[in-house]
Amino acid sequence: MLQAALMRDDPAAVELLWDRYANDLLAFLKCVLCSIHDAEDVLQMVFVRIVRKRHKLAKARCLEAYVYKIARNEAPGWIRRRKRDRAVRAADESWLVVPKSPDEPGEKLRAALARLPQEQREVIVMKIYRQKTFLEISGFLELPQSTVASRYRYGMEKLRIMLENITL
Amino acid sequence: MKDEHSENWPLENLLTRAHVPEPSPQLKQRITAEARKAWDQTSADIPWQIPLRRLVASAAAAVLIIWLANFSSDYTLAQWRPGSACVATQQPTDFDMLPEMPYGPFAKHMVLVDRRSRVIDASALSDYVESVRRLLDETEQNGVSTPLAPPGGSSRLAPGRADARSYS
Repeated sequence: MLQAALMRDDPAAVELLWDRYANDLLAFLKCVLCSIHDAEDVLQMVFVRIVRKRHKLAKARCLEAYVYKIARNEAPGWIRRRKRDRAVRAADESWLVVPKSPDEPGEKLRAALARLPQEQREVIVMKIYRQKTFLEISGFLELPQSTVASRYRYGMEKLRIMLENITL
Repeated sequence: MKDEHSENWPLENLLTRAHVPEPSPQLKQRITAEARKAWDQTSADIPWQIPLRRLVASAAAAVLIIWLANFSSDYTLAQWRPGSACVATQQPTDFDMLPEMPYGPFAKHMVLVDRRSRVIDASALSDYVESVRRLLDETEQNGVSTPLAPPGGSSRLAPGRADARSYS
């Protein structure tokens, strides 16, 4: 349906694109950038880029892979720009909503996730928070399924070590 | 594998207590509006324009390169002055008579070097001859002549060698 709308060059495809990819892409970008505001700005850039390249997208075999590729290409450029302007970086820590109760180790969990290498963090976030399978994640990231699984495993091991003094 | 799953379970349970926030309706409105704007700006006839633009750009680049090469060549020739007539009227050397040889450019280079060195030698030689002639003239004018035979008519040969002819 989305691909057909793109083929027809129908502007309604924008809504379809949003419904299909916005949630997953935003979660992905939040975990890559560890910032809700940056993720929203990059999501806008990604959507504009997708719309400009809609003719290629219409012919793409795997829409998801194409869309995530655009997101993966946009995010590093944003990170480079953000490094140049460190003042913006410090403000935003709300990319992951953690429970407010005092007995929950929410802040430590968010900090531990932020300390993980990006490639491990993105797999964990996609798996836990977007309920994607390893097969789906491997399709999005254009990686072998075994690589995705091992990234998840190593990431979880690191998280366990970082959170070991917290009662799980 | 089962152990690993059971090991991960408490951590996964902890992770699922947090969540990644969904995109807000305002964000949807903002991004879809930007995307629609981008949609309108990029017209549908772009796909066939892209190769045409690339072709025009390549042709322009080729023309520019050729023009620059011609300009550089003309400029270099304008700067060049023919060498001395001596070099210009050199008779072809044996190297020129030779049929096509391997290492042709190198051999030609050697011929050129040889010609240059000969020109330098000829001028040096003429200077030398001139200085010798001047010396001889001065000597003649002074009326000093070198003795052809030692005074007293005695032979320059060593006394013991006087009968050396008898051996031949």
